[in-house]
Amino acid sequence: MNCAIGFPRLQGWRKMMSEQRYKLHWITAVVETVKTLKDMIAPFVILVVANGFKGESTQPWFVQYWSLILFGILLVSTLVAGIVKWRRFDYWFEDQELRMVSGLFVRKKRYIPFDRIQSLDYTEGIFHRPFNLVKVKVETAGSASGKDAEAELTAITKDAAEQIEQEIQRAKRVQITGPIPRRYENEELLLHGDREITQETERSVRAVFSMTTGDLLMLATTSGGIGVILSGAVVFLSQIEEIIPFDWLFGELESFVRFGVFVIGILILLGFILVWLLSVAMTFLANYDFKVKLEKDDLVITRGLLEKKRVTVPLNRVQNVSIVENPFRQLFGYASVVLSSAGGVGEGARIKLFPLAKRDRIIEPLQELFPNLDFGEPTEVLDARGKRFYYRFKLFLTLVLVAAASYFLFPYGLLSLLLLPFVWGLGLWQYKTAAYSILPKQLTMRFRSISRHTVFMEKNRIQSMEVDQNYFHRRRKVATVTVNVKSGMTVDAPAVRHMPQEQAEQFLLWYEYPTESKE
Amino acid sequence: MRQQPANQISRKGLTVWRLYGIIQTLILMAVAIGIGFLVYYFEWPIWIGIVAAVVVMLYAFFSIYLFPKIRWERWRYEVREAEIELQHGLFIVNRTLIPMVRVQHVDTAEGPILRKYGLASITISTAATNHSIPALVTEEADELRNRISTFARVAKDDV
Repeated sequence: MNCAIGFPRLQGWRKMMSEQRYKLHWITAVVETVKTLKDMIAPFVILVVANGFKGESTQPWFVQYWSLILFGILLVSTLVAGIVKWRRFDYWFEDQELRMVSGLFVRKKRYIPFDRIQSLDYTEGIFHRPFNLVKVKVETAGSASGKDAEAELTAITKDAAEQIEQEIQRAKRVQITGPIPRRYENEELLLHGDREITQETERSVRAVFSMTTGDLLMLATTSGGIGVILSGAVVFLSQIEEIIPFDWLFGELESFVRFGVFVIGILILLGFILVWLLSVAMTFLANYDFKVKLEKDDLVITRGLLEKKRVTVPLNRVQNVSIVENPFRQLFGYASVVLSSAGGVGEGARIKLFPLAKRDRIIEPLQELFPNLDFGEPTEVLDARGKRFYYRFKLFLTLVLVAAASYFLFPYGLLSLLLLPFVWGLGLWQYKTAAYSILPKQLTMRFRSISRHTVFMEKNRIQSMEVDQNYFHRRRKVATVTVNVKSGMTVDAPAVRHMPQEQAEQFLLWYEYPTESKE
Repeated sequence: MRQQPANQISRKGLTVWRLYGIIQTLILMAVAIGIGFLVYYFEWPIWIGIVAAVVVMLYAFFSIYLFPKIRWERWRYEVREAEIELQHGLFIVNRTLIPMVRVQHVDTAEGPILRKYGLASITISTAATNHSIPALVTEEADELRNRISTFARVAKDDV
């Protein structure tokens, strides 16, 4: 397993390197302290405000200001904890591994073999920027060990980050030369192989995508889509109140109530606008200067204004590609592209490849990145047998809601009747959207929750396939097909719902036969 | 119309599920008796006690008789050379197809009640999902586990 045994000279060379241990930058202490404080500050602020400034001077000072004192202790202790974290953290390279040790009393060691490292993700926060530092997150191949598989170097210099990257590169190169001797038949070439391959793997960097300012503004303003819709709904409702002659309907007393409703409506509207503006600003900052580059076989995504992020996704870890269009953006012909990656946990699993771009201009770069996938629109639509299932249950639920609203909030509750056509329309729209294509080695599925999703996946990335039928489905011979694809530690499960049973069985039949037999 | 998977799970599995139902019903019954006492001592309206009794009876009927029966009749599995097919479900019938190449590992497990009846459950894990076959005769479960792991190793991996 360990190829170092075969290369005594290389091992000797590595021994020399292994002595050096590295520390993180001192800003680590600050970053860690701020991080801890951020999580704990809210309850303490409430406590201090509630208790800290009570003017009862009859009690001794330490009772009077106990919450402030507690706050001070907390502040100092988190700072100390931060400093300890920084002082007691070491990392170094040894035996083809990135090794880390941390902790004050309990020394926690973490050894990550280089060949398990998928990628290094960099983040430059506001504390990092002035010192030219980066936070490095080590992404490992998603293994069963879960979160522990990951490691983070809170703050190191960019040179140090570059060094880690080179260290990994070198280790991987040695491993390539090790088990594949036929490429390097004589030993001479093997030992000098290092230089040889450096030339070969001269990094070819190619820009794939960069977001224009117009697109960025479009993204930012439509990102709080639900907020926009809700505030729109409030405007609509306040308008309708003026159209319908409520005064005529209700007496003088009611007008007072109506005034209250109006004020509340305005306040809610203002609240929505504020939230929306905030989300616009945050989206703008987070996605500023969004760029995707292709470095050899890795996608490198960089973004951010205040906090710069750099994420690396190895192409061969990508499990599926989804094009997502929310109704608002679909109207303007915009879409976003999301990848599911097998590496990484949580955030790392679903990666926005293109946050927003013109729909007709995303296919070409996608095709270039994933030559094995066919990005054509799915061709098979569902026949009308399953149509009713798209709206029937939704309508039923809405009716219950409407009944409750009308009964308990009598006059205004009746407005909820307006929901019915919307719900019915959404159901029909979902039915119209649903489509799929079964290609020899690929599956394309299109479906709508509210946004339209078109998911493209290769057959060998599908982990398992499920067909579900409830009682009513069985009576109508209709079924739902769900496809399970790995996404980080979890699963991405696109589904085309309520399709005729024969079509669903086509999926199973296709999936049953091994890919090889079709070649 | 696609055929159902060939194998049913052990008849003893039905017994075990009924046993689970009995245990759950007993717990519920203890709660209901508690409520009965409260109704008696605090002179709560009598319908509370009646509702509690009816709930226990309905629960007993569904969890001991009906649901295990439907579940058992519906549970099917088949391990073929290239894939595993499962079928199960109470209200929603779920059919799952797992290709051998995607199987990462197979576990068997037996709790105290299952062991008493000489049963075990088997869990098949892919990179993304877990699927289990409950209540197989232990030898059968072990044999199945071995078979799946042999097949899974033979099948060519192309992820």
